[in-house]
Amino acid sequence: MIKQSIIENVLEAALSTGGDFSEVFIEDKYVNRIELQSGKIEKSISGRDFGVGIRIFSGLQSIYTYTTDFSEEGLLIAAKRAAHAIKGGAQGIIHPLRKETFNPIHQIALMPQTVEHARKVSVMRKANEIARNYDERIRQVALRYIDEEQNVLIANSEGKFVEDTRVHSRLSIQATASDGIEMQTGFYGPGAHAGFEFIENLNLEHYAGEAARIAVTMLGAEECPSGKFSVIIDNEFGGVIFHEACGHGLEATSVAKDNSVFANRIGEKVAPDIVTYIDDGTLPNEWGSLNIDDEGEKTRKNVLIENGILKGYLIDKFNARRMNADATGSSRRESYRFNPTSRMTNTYIAPGTSSPDDIIASTEYGIYAKYMGGGQVNPATGDYNFAVMEAYLVKNGKIDSPVRGATLIGNGAKTLQLVDRVGNNLAHGAGLCGASSGSLPVNVGQPMIRVSEITVGGTKGE
Amino acid sequence: MNITEFQEELLSKAMGAGFEEAEVYYERSNSFQCMIFKGDIDSYETSEDSGVGLRGLYKGKMGYAYTEKLDEDSISFLIDNAKANAAILDEDDGTDIFEGSKEYVGYKFYSEELAKVQIPEKIELLTTIEEKILAYDPRIVTLNYCVLQDFSGERLLSNSKGLSLHENKNGLIIFISALVKEGEEMKTGSFIKMTRDFGSLNADEIAKEAAEEALSNLGEKSIPAGKYPIIMRYDAAASLLSTFAPIFSAENTQKDQSLLKGKVGKKIASDFFTILDDPFHPDAVAGSNFDGEGVATKTRAIVSNGTLETLLHNRKTAKIEGCETTGHAQKASYKSTLSVAPLNMYIVPGHKSKDDLITSLSEGILITELSGLHSGANTISGDFSVAATGFHIKDGTISSSVKQMTIAGNFFDFMKDIEEIGSDLHFRPGGYGSPSLHVKELSVTVD
Repeated sequence: MIKQSIIENVLEAALSTGGDFSEVFIEDKYVNRIELQSGKIEKSISGRDFGVGIRIFSGLQSIYTYTTDFSEEGLLIAAKRAAHAIKGGAQGIIHPLRKETFNPIHQIALMPQTVEHARKVSVMRKANEIARNYDERIRQVALRYIDEEQNVLIANSEGKFVEDTRVHSRLSIQATASDGIEMQTGFYGPGAHAGFEFIENLNLEHYAGEAARIAVTMLGAEECPSGKFSVIIDNEFGGVIFHEACGHGLEATSVAKDNSVFANRIGEKVAPDIVTYIDDGTLPNEWGSLNIDDEGEKTRKNVLIENGILKGYLIDKFNARRMNADATGSSRRESYRFNPTSRMTNTYIAPGTSSPDDIIASTEYGIYAKYMGGGQVNPATGDYNFAVMEAYLVKNGKIDSPVRGATLIGNGAKTLQLVDRVGNNLAHGAGLCGASSGSLPVNVGQPMIRVSEITVGGTKGE
Repeated sequence: MNITEFQEELLSKAMGAGFEEAEVYYERSNSFQCMIFKGDIDSYETSEDSGVGLRGLYKGKMGYAYTEKLDEDSISFLIDNAKANAAILDEDDGTDIFEGSKEYVGYKFYSEELAKVQIPEKIELLTTIEEKILAYDPRIVTLNYCVLQDFSGERLLSNSKGLSLHENKNGLIIFISALVKEGEEMKTGSFIKMTRDFGSLNADEIAKEAAEEALSNLGEKSIPAGKYPIIMRYDAAASLLSTFAPIFSAENTQKDQSLLKGKVGKKIASDFFTILDDPFHPDAVAGSNFDGEGVATKTRAIVSNGTLETLLHNRKTAKIEGCETTGHAQKASYKSTLSVAPLNMYIVPGHKSKDDLITSLSEGILITELSGLHSGANTISGDFSVAATGFHIKDGTISSSVKQMTIAGNFFDFMKDIEEIGSDLHFRPGGYGSPSLHVKELSVTVD
């Protein structure tokens, strides 16, 4: 993408004022986005993102700059501008660049850039029809198709020089149902670190059908009662609750500065024995997977909580300095525009032994969250909140009527202690996670779990 | 590569390649951001970037492409991709490229004074603020965010109909979040300010406000769940308005994605409720002289005393309804297709201070922050059920902070249930403003 000799010069210029580490991240990304609404292909845009991020460390100071000017002169100006932030020291040392190679874990069969738009559109039309035909109350179906081919080159003053190509494909389906007075929506957004083969092999009957079914079901739903209840959260995207409730609190971004309820607690019991929590960027072709992270480190399986004991954090190179620990292949950024930091990849609760039927049968009264919406956490306090997209009351061990407007709130560290069942049906769901280094594809996953008590907010009152 | 030359070459090559009409949209920006942690510069970021988008009418359909790599190959990349994207559209876009408005306001969104402020001055201000907050009260543990960010940028729109528009913009944001602890209780409180007037930033005032905001959240109590009268503080109210702004978009009503379909001229809110969209409001930093299609922007009433005056239109949605565009074509960046969005929408203030609104309640809740709006609010149904931070009001005074709550309601009901409007209009950095609002009631659940 850019000549090696230029990269070396930039790495050197970045250390001209005494920095002790410099890094160049070059990104060349092709994007296609197509939107279908009201049965028609309405918007389609293609583009190329291209830019360079330069990072310098000087002890516990991190300096970042990025530019879209890829000329040697432009890059050197950017590097010097960044270096200027460090107060005069001796020229830092640059090790000779050694090209690293690896066997990619995530094989791509059909590069999206080589696939004609017409084939992409044809899948969208099929999904649209399935959702439309699900029920006459489906009034609108909005489909968003996106593919990205991100080529990266990462080089640093320690001699690292590595390249990778990441391919992401996703189809988001939103169905709107109306009975003439009210409107409700349902959503499903399967995605993978894979090429167009993923989109063409999608089980559209399932995904488009579910989006429509959720919208229609919620149309007939009663208002959710509020109070403290047992909450059963189903597998797959249900894992978003632990992504928020504890995943963010285990990122070095929060832990390194003690801005997390989980800081300085390695070896402590933070959850019941049945809880094992893992972040694994190596799962083949999963949405949150990578061959190497955005610092060029190979991704790996990081066990965060094992049988209830806190085992580790997600650590990037910079926070590793503050924490005096090793990086864990977890450093990520949305693009060259972001200073990378520790982030999740595919994070999940490992499967337990309970069968989903038994979990429901053993619940006298509570809420069953079949599909979760998104959520948010304040990592410093651990307070979280989530929307439940499709919820039901559970009465006497049986799933009862659907309810809408359910919101779950609580404190991550406390909720984790209250997990009392972990099912045996692990599955993963795709989401986008927003934090300081941008919006990133992440998987959240879990088997069905039950929490003995969560505060449920609803419109109905107690 | 010189952008003016690039632009001319792209337009002429696009026309030569069979486009009936074409438009080039260019943006360039510079930014600086730094974060202070315990007296040291924790992170320091600068940037300089640009990109260009091509929008063109090809066989009657509107194709789009963009690139951030400006070289010889990018002209053919843009032309080929915009054509391929036009080809798969199902119908004519219904619009053409715009020839220009008669007049543009020419408001200045760029401050030369701000551009002159040097980085060391900004860092010094931020360091002073952190120092003052940490010294303010022993219960303040740390600042989990102490960030200053400034940006300046230009955008340029020119097309084959001879329109050529240009605008510069700059601004500065300070964001602070303090972590406070008393016994086992931990809370955060945040402060955000966006301005073009660096001189107006006073370290003592900012430190006091940020520290008090965090400290006030300590001493939480639980209260029974139920329906309570609500005072929604200006910032929480503005974030709610920003979340539900898509309901005013004609693009959404036309696609059955907003319940305001067919409601223009009808009463949708309480009598005191007026919403303006004012791209030139001096207290706001958002705004622009021309929209994403090059249409001149102006100040408009969206809701007047409860009656929906107009929806927000771009030229395409206006054509469908046979009306004039309202200048609300949104182009978030050169990477975006056109949609519809407000420029700087706000709820017009009334006469009572926030304290007077509180005094008038025998019991109720003051909400100071909402979180989880991206997932807990549905702009199509109007339902929201989100986490909230706030205080219990008893006999006209604040009695204590309340444990984490959810509040639930429906925005369409919310607009009708507004009983009084405060005088304390504040704008958010993203371009939405509101004073504090007294709302009849919302469902509240406490953790």
